[in-house]
Amino acid sequence: MFSRDSVDLGNFFSIIELMASYLGEFELMLLLAVLHLGDEAYGVPISRELERHRGRSVSVGSVYAALDRLEGKGLIVSSLGDPTPERGGKAKRYFRVTREGLRQIRETKQVLTKLWQQIPGLKTDVG
Amino acid sequence: MYRREPSRQATWVLGHLTTGPRDEALAGDLLEEFRAGRSSGWYWRQVLSACIVSWSKSLVMRAPALAFALLWSTLAPAWKILVDGIVDSQVFASLWDAPGPLWLPFACAGWVALHATFLWAGILAYLLTHTLLGKSIRQREARRAFWLAPLLFAPAAGLTFLFANLYWYSVPGLAHGRLAGTSMGQIADFGALPDLIRVPYFIALLASVWTAIPRSKRIVGHLPGAFAEGFGAEVHTLALSSSSDAGVVRRFFTLMVTMGLLNSLIAGFLLCRLPDAHSPTLGSLLLRAIVYVALGGAAGAMGAYLYWQNPASPFREDPPVPFPLFALACTSGWVWVPAAVIFSEALSAGAALVAMIGAFLLAAGLRSATCLLPAPVSSAGAQSNPALFEEALYKAPAELVGYAIALCLYAALVALVIRWNLSAAALLALGAALFGWKKTIPRGQAFFTTREYRRAALRAAFVVVPAILVTAWALIEGVAYRNRVQAGVDAGASISSAAPKPSEKDEAKKFASRVSGYESVILWPYPEKDEIVAPRLRETSLLLPGKTRPVVIRFTGAYWYLQPPDKWPGPKAHQAHGSPLKVNVQSRDDIPLMMDAHQSLPADVALGSCREIDVDIDNFDNKEGPIGVALLLGDGPNTSHRTLYLGQQPIVSSQPQHFRLKASPVSETLRFTVPAHGDLRKFDEVTVLILPGTEHLWVAPRIAVRQFQFIPR
Repeated sequence: MFSRDSVDLGNFFSIIELMASYLGEFELMLLLAVLHLGDEAYGVPISRELERHRGRSVSVGSVYAALDRLEGKGLIVSSLGDPTPERGGKAKRYFRVTREGLRQIRETKQVLTKLWQQIPGLKTDVG
Repeated sequence: MYRREPSRQATWVLGHLTTGPRDEALAGDLLEEFRAGRSSGWYWRQVLSACIVSWSKSLVMRAPALAFALLWSTLAPAWKILVDGIVDSQVFASLWDAPGPLWLPFACAGWVALHATFLWAGILAYLLTHTLLGKSIRQREARRAFWLAPLLFAPAAGLTFLFANLYWYSVPGLAHGRLAGTSMGQIADFGALPDLIRVPYFIALLASVWTAIPRSKRIVGHLPGAFAEGFGAEVHTLALSSSSDAGVVRRFFTLMVTMGLLNSLIAGFLLCRLPDAHSPTLGSLLLRAIVYVALGGAAGAMGAYLYWQNPASPFREDPPVPFPLFALACTSGWVWVPAAVIFSEALSAGAALVAMIGAFLLAAGLRSATCLLPAPVSSAGAQSNPALFEEALYKAPAELVGYAIALCLYAALVALVIRWNLSAAALLALGAALFGWKKTIPRGQAFFTTREYRRAALRAAFVVVPAILVTAWALIEGVAYRNRVQAGVDAGASISSAAPKPSEKDEAKKFASRVSGYESVILWPYPEKDEIVAPRLRETSLLLPGKTRPVVIRFTGAYWYLQPPDKWPGPKAHQAHGSPLKVNVQSRDDIPLMMDAHQSLPADVALGSCREIDVDIDNFDNKEGPIGVALLLGDGPNTSHRTLYLGQQPIVSSQPQHFRLKASPVSETLRFTVPAHGDLRKFDEVTVLILPGTEHLWVAPRIAVRQFQFIPR
């Protein structure tokens, strides 16, 4: 009985751990946008990229909040650029995906692909 | 060239109404987008959205502060009762009078200081927890929290007081709310009244600790060229990992110890029971003590093991010390838990002593057995070669732990004096654990597992024997306490003429055995010596027609001490024998106390046959303030209980012009005129209502009714 309880408890903690490590939809989109933009990945192009693909307006504040979260998880890193007069003397904050970030993107893609492929009618939609 | 500028108000809002450090990158991005052709409406929407996001992020970041403020403020009702007790005490009464005309600011400062002590202790506990968990504290903000707390508490308490007075009868449960008699009951009570008491403490504490925790650090690298130097994850992650290892290990270590202790406490409270026998044998007590000590150690080890082995624990894969060694080290503390629990249930101060010993042994054992744990970096190296005269200029750093230990000791002493044994136990345990952890000299870094096992096992073996003996002593004390309480309750229940129903009686016993405060009190005078009197015919009326001499009835009834809206003592009323001239009955909350004396007459008295009733009383009250007495006649046996109010008379010796300190009771006779006609035709019950002035609202006056004289018409 004890071993069974401890196994259940272990499962419970594993689930919690997994839930905390999962990438959310918005976070995944951000990672892909940062990856796509490369060295030009800062707030404005990232927001534009998201708006272009999602087809609706994006709050720059929430983009930064999500980017901070990803940075906390070690999936991206950021650095400040030079201040420019076009931006009222304010510097750009550049983002770049880390190796861990890349690993998570690949892992998420694999999981999603497998899941999509299990649905016969939608197989053709998956790249 | 014309350059578009966004709304100044919106830019001000973005700069000033977002929490945390000003985000230049976000402001720059919004400006760049605006100048690229976005509308003013878009700019405003982005600014407001950024505010909302930053506020919610800040709230999530400070969730621990919020949770701590909530938890700490749950203790506030118990603290308020303690402070009220201190303020009402004789010592403080004389202190208030000392400053003469400056008494008001002096009293206000004293009142704030007393309440601020609770908040300071909370802030200290919060900061200590942060330090123990390896988190950094901003010194300046931490210091500011200490002086901010009393400054915020005073207006918050004032506003709460104002709200309470305005909506006392509107908020459900407030007017009829009352605080429990025990500190644990007050803490666990989440009614309207205790919650209202908690509000100012919660506000002051939350606002004080809000800024004391560090905000998230933002990477302030510079120039995109940093990319070229590999600002990849490895360097950053490795740096983070190496800097946080010590903190993570310390945090999880604290968690393991706490979980073990909690499990041991739960097992103690649930499973450690006193033997059923009134006089158990020493052998059975020793056997029981051995079982309980084993239970305490095993429960602690099991609780810690569950957390040690869970997948989120870093110790599962890479333990800093082997678990059996950790468990052996902690066992020297956990085995004392059953004794502390049994002592606390017997309301004995031994609980505090045992908790202190256990906590010290636990902390010292851990410190000794876990020398592999990363120790904080010492600055001793810098002083290894002091320059000439450097020692004279050296200023010893202030030790937060020392203050905490001293505070724990002083608070525990106060708690012991007012018999808050559980609180004293917790405080002494905390102080002893801190002392044990900080002041035990760790051995060298050489760590041989076999030797450590042997040492920990020896330590546990040496500790277990006294723990068993102390647990047996606790069992003896517990049995003796239970027998005393049982005897007292049985005596009260058997003498009471209005004994409650069996189920209610059991409940009353249970209640009386656990608490030190009561819902209401019924005080019976000591029974008179049996007198041998000649048998006489049963009278149908005390004042038969033709009687000219007064009839004297000695008071043999009960005194009731109640609080409104109650009109009679409930089934949980505490019954005791004593003289109201000697007992000290006080209200432990803000609800006034009422005192009545009830006398049933041996026969009816026709209203028309009685002209006056003289009530002889004894006044032994040495508190200034007028006291009145009112008389109520009742016709008890009738199904519709009817009463007749005869008005009230002042007790002359309590009036300001006649007041003096009494060395012995002063006798007085109060005369009440009985109308020839009224709502009653006869009466068989007399109720004396003691009507105190404002000075006696929370302390029952020491007035006793000696006898009644019924004067014929």
